[in-house]
Amino acid sequence: MAKDILILAEHLNGKLADITFEMVGKAKELAAGFGGKAVAVLLGNGVKSLAESIGADSVLYVDDAALAQFNPEAYGRLLAALIQERNPRVVMIGNTSIGMDLAAGLSVMTDLPLIAYVNGLAADGGTLAATSQIYGGKIQAEALPDGEACIVACLAGAFPADTGKGSAPVEQIASPAPLDDLKVNFVKLIEPEGGDVDITQQPILVSIGRGIGGQENIELAQELADALGCAVSSSRPITDAGWLPKTRQVGKSGLTVTPKVYLAFGISGAPEHLEGMRGAETIVAVNTDSKAPIFDVAHYGATCDMLDLLPALTEKIKG
Amino acid sequence: MNIVVSIKQIPNLTDELEINAEGTGLDHDALQYVLNEFDEHAIEEAVLAKEATGGTVTVIGVDTTGELDGALHTALAKGADSAVKITGDFPRGTDSHTQAKLIADAIRGMSPDIVLTGVQAADDRDGQIGPMIAAHLGVPYVGVVTGVQVKEGKAVVHKEYAGGVMAEFEVALPMVVGVQAAHQPPRYAPVSKIRQIAKTAKIDEVTGGAGPRAGSTVRRMFKPESAGHAEMWEGSPEEVADKIATLLAEKGLVKRG
Amino acid sequence: MLALTERTIFVLMVAVFGSITLWGFFNMYRIVRRGRAASKFQNLIPQAVKAFLEVGLQTPVYKSRLILTTFHAFIFFGFSYYLLVNLNDLLEGFLPGYSTAEVSTGIIGPLNFLGDVLSIGVLLGVVVFLVRRFIAKDKRLEFNKDVLLYPAVEKGGVKRDSLVVGGFILLHVGSRFTGQALRLAERSIINPMQPFASALSFALRALPPSAFTSAIHASWWIAIGLIVVFLPYFIISKHVHIIAAPVNLGLAKQGERGHLDPAVPPGAPPDLAPGAATLADLAWPRLMDAYACIMCNRCQDVCPAHNSLRPLSPSALEINKRYWLNENFTGFAGGAASPPLTEFAISPEAVWACTTCFACVRVCPVGNEPMADIVDIRRRMVNDGAELDSGIQSTLEKIGKTGNSFGQAARNRAKWAATLDFKIKDARKEAMEFLWFVGDYASFDARVQEITRTVARVLKSAGVDFGILYDGERNSGNDVRRVGEEGLFEQLAEQNIAAMSKCNFQRVITTDPHTLNALKNEYPDYGGKWDTIHYTRLLAQLIDEGQIKLAKKLDYRVTFHDPCYLGRYNKGFNPPRALIQATGCEFVEMPRNKENSYCCGAGGGQIWMGTTPPGERPAENRIREALAALATLNGHGGNGAKPDKPLLFVVACPKDVVMYTDAVKTTGNEGKIEVKDVIQLIAEAMGEELQTSNSQLQNAVPA
Ligand SMILES: Cc1cc2nc3c(=O)[nH]c(=O)nc-3n(C[C@H](O)[C@H](O)[C@H](O)COP(=O)(O)OP(=O)(O)OC[C@H]3O[C@@H](n4cnc5c(N)ncnc54)[C@H](O)[C@@H]3O)c2cc1C
Ligand code: SF4
Ligand code: SF4
Repeated sequence: MAKDILILAEHLNGKLADITFEMVGKAKELAAGFGGKAVAVLLGNGVKSLAESIGADSVLYVDDAALAQFNPEAYGRLLAALIQERNPRVVMIGNTSIGMDLAAGLSVMTDLPLIAYVNGLAADGGTLAATSQIYGGKIQAEALPDGEACIVACLAGAFPADTGKGSAPVEQIASPAPLDDLKVNFVKLIEPEGGDVDITQQPILVSIGRGIGGQENIELAQELADALGCAVSSSRPITDAGWLPKTRQVGKSGLTVTPKVYLAFGISGAPEHLEGMRGAETIVAVNTDSKAPIFDVAHYGATCDMLDLLPALTEKIKG
Repeated sequence: MNIVVSIKQIPNLTDELEINAEGTGLDHDALQYVLNEFDEHAIEEAVLAKEATGGTVTVIGVDTTGELDGALHTALAKGADSAVKITGDFPRGTDSHTQAKLIADAIRGMSPDIVLTGVQAADDRDGQIGPMIAAHLGVPYVGVVTGVQVKEGKAVVHKEYAGGVMAEFEVALPMVVGVQAAHQPPRYAPVSKIRQIAKTAKIDEVTGGAGPRAGSTVRRMFKPESAGHAEMWEGSPEEVADKIATLLAEKGLVKRG
Repeated sequence: MLALTERTIFVLMVAVFGSITLWGFFNMYRIVRRGRAASKFQNLIPQAVKAFLEVGLQTPVYKSRLILTTFHAFIFFGFSYYLLVNLNDLLEGFLPGYSTAEVSTGIIGPLNFLGDVLSIGVLLGVVVFLVRRFIAKDKRLEFNKDVLLYPAVEKGGVKRDSLVVGGFILLHVGSRFTGQALRLAERSIINPMQPFASALSFALRALPPSAFTSAIHASWWIAIGLIVVFLPYFIISKHVHIIAAPVNLGLAKQGERGHLDPAVPPGAPPDLAPGAATLADLAWPRLMDAYACIMCNRCQDVCPAHNSLRPLSPSALEINKRYWLNENFTGFAGGAASPPLTEFAISPEAVWACTTCFACVRVCPVGNEPMADIVDIRRRMVNDGAELDSGIQSTLEKIGKTGNSFGQAARNRAKWAATLDFKIKDARKEAMEFLWFVGDYASFDARVQEITRTVARVLKSAGVDFGILYDGERNSGNDVRRVGEEGLFEQLAEQNIAAMSKCNFQRVITTDPHTLNALKNEYPDYGGKWDTIHYTRLLAQLIDEGQIKLAKKLDYRVTFHDPCYLGRYNKGFNPPRALIQATGCEFVEMPRNKENSYCCGAGGGQIWMGTTPPGERPAENRIREALAALATLNGHGGNGAKPDKPLLFVVACPKDVVMYTDAVKTTGNEGKIEVKDVIQLIAEAMGEELQTSNSQLQNAVPA
C-alpha cells in the first residue's frame, strides 16, 4: 500500500468536520499522481453512515464504544498501528484541535517525518512538496520529506471541501490495537456559555467604524452578520456611543481578534484599532477615503460607500 | 507533585522577518528571540497548579540562542522552583523533533507527574513539541487545553474544540499537556525580582547530544503576497459585494449563492 | 477676675485636658514615626522660614478658590491674633483688677481695635463656611459614587467634625466678643477702639444690672474654658491642621517635582519590599499628610480622574487614612499593622485611575502628596504580582522585551527618519552638540512620525548640530516608573545612560515631555547627569537669536495645552507660548493653563490601559474648554457661523497629539478645530526657510 494516502476523518457530535472533506479532496488528487488511493480512516462508534458520506477512494472504519468520543490516546494507538500495518505514502491529519493531539506524537512513534501547518500540497514529480504557513502567517515554507513517506498536518480551510464529498466503498475493520486500558478518559462535552457573543471566537467579523454614520444604520451591519452567521464588532467610537456593547470593541482598549475574514467597514485604521485586528487571516477594508491607513494592513480594499455596500452584500449572501 | 514545564524560544513576530540569502530559512541572527507565548501560559498554569496542590515546578528548555537564561529567570520570578537549560550545538530555530527529544531525555530522570508546555509555537514547522515529548516518554498527551486540575494521581483537563465547545478528560498521571491558555492570564514578573534572581539563582545545565532532526527539508521560504497595501477592488457596491462574497466562498465560510 | 473656685477649677481643667492633649500629640508623633524613612531634608532653616512666610501670607491656600480662601484668611488671621487675645483674657481672669475692654489709648487701644475687627472677620468666615457646607451644600465637598470611603467617613464624619469645629469657633470667638460688649455695657461706655463690641453693647445695656457679673463670667468660660475642653478633640479633628499644616509645609517636597522618591528608602535593608501595602509602608511625611489634611477637596477638584467620574479621589485617600488612624490611634502608634491600604484608603481601581498629573499635589494648601501614596501602592502591587490591567501588563512586557511600548523591533526605532532627504547623525558614531532623545510615541506612532520628521527638518534648517541614538534608544521609563515598575525603570535608565555615556555630545533635547522629565530629573540618580531641555526651549532660543527665521505670518486662532510633564512638572510654560506668538497666530489661554493646566488623561500609564472606562474623558473635557476659550475671540463664529480663521488646539507632546486627535473626533468637533503640534506651526511659518523635505512620504497620515 506504499502508494496510498491515509486520511484521518474528523468528526464531532455526529458530524464530519469540513477538514475531512478538504483533505480527502486533496488526497484524491495527490493519490492519482502517486498511483495510489485516498483511503479515509474513521474512528468512532456507530459511524457507518458517516463513513458512507466520505468521497474517498475507500473508507475504513473502526467501530468501538471506546471511540464514541474523540480520545487522543485511543486515536494515537490505532493510527500508529494502522500506519505500521499499511505503510502508507502519506498520512493526512488536520492541523486542528483534534489533529494537533496526534500528528506530532505519531511522527515520533512511527518515525515518519511530519510537516505541519500545511496549506499547500503538490505532487512534484514523484515527490510530495508541502507548504507550511508558519510564524503567525508571515512566512510560507515549502518542504520535501527526507524519505518517501511522511505525515502532513493540514490547516483548516486550505483546500476546497467539495471534491471530498460523495461516497466510497466502506469497510469495517477490527480495532488494530487494544482499547481497554486507556489512561485518558472522556468525561463530558461542555457547550459554550450564553451571554454576549464572543467576538474573539468568530470566523468572520463584520466590523464597523464611524463610517456607519448613525445608530440607525447598525441594523444594516447586523443583517449582514445574521446572513453570514457571524457577529458585528466595531471600533471604539461605536461602543463609546453605546451603539454596541463594550464586548464588541476591537483594539488596544478592547479585544484582540483573529478571525479568518475581518470586514472593516468605515474604519480609518488608527494604530489603536489595528493592534486588535492585525492578526486576522484576511482583512477586507471598505472606506470612502482611499488614503485611510486601514488599507495599509488590509489585503483587499474598496472605496465605496459602506451604506450602499452593506445591503448589497447581504442580498448576495442570502442569495 | 512534580511539575515540569517545557519552553521554547521563537522569533519575536513583531519583528520584520527576513529570509536568508539561500531562501530556505530565516535570517535568524537578525532576529530577536522571545519566549513562545503559549509557553507563558504553560508556566502560569503550572504555577497555579502548584499553588493549588503543592509540589515543585521545574522549567526546562533547549538554549538555542544563548539567551535562555532570561526566560528561565522570568519563570523563576513567576514562581517556578528550579530551572534547567540544555546546552550544546543547537542553533537558533532548531527543529521541534530535536528539541523534543532533548527535553524528553532530560526530564525522563526527573520522573515528572505532569509536563506542561505551550500547545504550539509559531515556528513548529515540523510539529508541536508536546505530543513528541509524550511519545518519547510513553505517556498520554492532551493539547489545546485551557485548564488543568490535578488531584490524587489524576488530572482533569479541558480541551477546546472549534466553536467554543470543550471536552473534559480525566487522565491518569503522568501525562503531557499542551496548554492553549492558563485559566488566569499569565502574571507579571517585576523586573526587580527577575534581576534579583538573575544574581542569585542557579540554572542547572545539561549537555545535549545530537537530535533526530526534522525529517524534512525546506527548499523554499517566502512571504505570502505582499501585505504592504491592499489590493483595491474597483467598481460599484454590487460588484464589490460580489467580490467579497466570492472571497468568503473561497474560504469555505459561506455557500456560494 | 475669676473667683477662687473658678480659678482652681480652671487650673485643674488645664491639668487634666492638657495632659490628655499632650498624650495625644505624643501618640501622633509615634504614629508618624511608624512611616518609612523619607528622603533627606536639607536646608531646614530656609525651609522653615519659607513655610512661615507661606503660612503667614496664606499663599498655598490662594492657589485656588480665591473667595473662599479670603474667608479662610479672615479666620486664619483672627485665630492667630487670638493667641494674644486669649493670653490677655487669661490675665483678665487671673490678675485682680486687670481689664482692657474699655481701654482706647496707648498700646492697648489699637490692639483692642484689631481684636474687635478680627473677631467679626472670624465669625463672618465661619458662618460662610457653615452656610456653604450645610445650607448651600457645595457639591465639591461630595465624592463620586464609587469612591472607597472608610465607614466613619461614609457616615458623615467630616460633616460632623466641621460642625463641631465651626460651632467651637462660633462659641469661642462669639463669646469672647460678647464678653467685651458686656463689659462695655455694664459701665455704659463706648470704646471707639472696639466699634463692633460697642455697637453690641447698646443692645446689652438692657440687661438687669445684677446679670452682668455672671454673664461676664459665663462669657469668659465659654471663650477660654472651652478651648481647654476642646484641646483633646484636636487630636481627632481636622482642625489639628493649624499645627500639622505648617509643619507639613516646612517638610514639603524638596527638589524637582518630577523626581519620585525611590521605591525603598535609601539605606533600607535589602529585603524591604518596595512601595506600600499598609500605612506603615508609607514614608513618614505621608502619614503626616493625613494629619495636615483639612479635607477641603481642592485636590479632588483638579483631579482628571475624579472629573471623569472615576472612583478616584485624592482627598478621600487622605481622609480615609486619617479616620482609620483616629479609630486605631493607640494601636497603630503602638506598632499594630493597618489593613492593606487598598481595603480602606483607596480602591485598586482608583489606584489605576491616576494619571500622575501632579495637580493634586500642586494645589494642596497644606503640602500633601496623595499622588506619592498612589505610586507607592502601585509599586507594591506590581512587586507582589497583583493582577494588572491587561494593557499595562502587556505594555510592560513589551518594553521589557523590546525596549519600547509598541513592542516593535529596536531596529525599527529610527524608521521614521528613512523618508527624510538627509541623514540624521548617528550619535553612536559621531560627535554632536545636541543628542536628540526622540521617545517612543514620536518614533513609532504613525500619526506622530510626520511631526517627528518636522522637528528634524526644522532643526536641520536652523543649522543645529544634532543626532539620535538610532536602535540604541529605549523607552525612557518615565511612565514605567509611574505605574510602579521600579525595576524595569531602573533597567531602562541604566541601559539608556550606558548608551548615552558612550556618545559625544553637549546637551540633550527631547520631543516627549515624559522623556524630558525622566532624563532631567531622575536619571541623575543613576549617574546620567546631562543638561536636558525640551525642544520648544531650544527653538524659542533659536528664534530669538535669529537662527530660525519665520517668513510667513500665520492666520490661525489658537490655544495651547500645557502638557503636565512639560508645564507643571518642569516649568516649561513660556517657550511654547513664545513660539506660537512668533508665528503671529491669534492666541487665547484656556481658563486652566500653566500651573492649572488640565491633564489630557494619558499619563501615568493611562494611555496603555486595556480598558476604556465610561464617562467624559479628560481630553474631551479639554477640547470643549478650548472651543469655549476660542469662542471668546472676535470673529470666532459664534451662533453656528463659521469662524473667519481656522481654530487650532496646539500641543507640545506626542501623546497629546494622539489623545486630542481622538478627542476631537469623539466630541464630534472634526472640522471645527484641529490638533497641531507647535512644531507644525513653526514649520509652516518658516515657509521657504524650511529647506529640507520629506521626499518619499507616501500616504498622508490622518490628522
Ligand atoms: C488610549 C487610546 C486607546 C484607544 N483604544 C482604541 C481601541 O481599542 N479600539 C479602537 O477602535 N479605537 C481605539 N482608540 C481610538 C482610535 O484612536 C480612533 O479614534 C478610532 O479607532 C477611530 O475609529 P473609526 O475608525 O471608527 O473612526 P474614524 O477614524 O473617524 O474613521 C471613520 C472612517 O470611516 C470612513 N467613512 C466615513 N463615511 C463612510 C462611508 N459612508 N462608507 C465608508 N467609509 C466611510 C472615513 O473615511 C473614515 O476613514 C483609542 C484611542 C486612544 C487615545
Ligand atoms: S496626580 Fe492627578 S490623577 Fe493622580 S490623584 Fe492627583 S490629581 Fe488625580
Ligand atoms: S489633601 Fe490637601 S487639597 Fe486634598 S483635601 Fe486634603 S488638604 Fe485639601
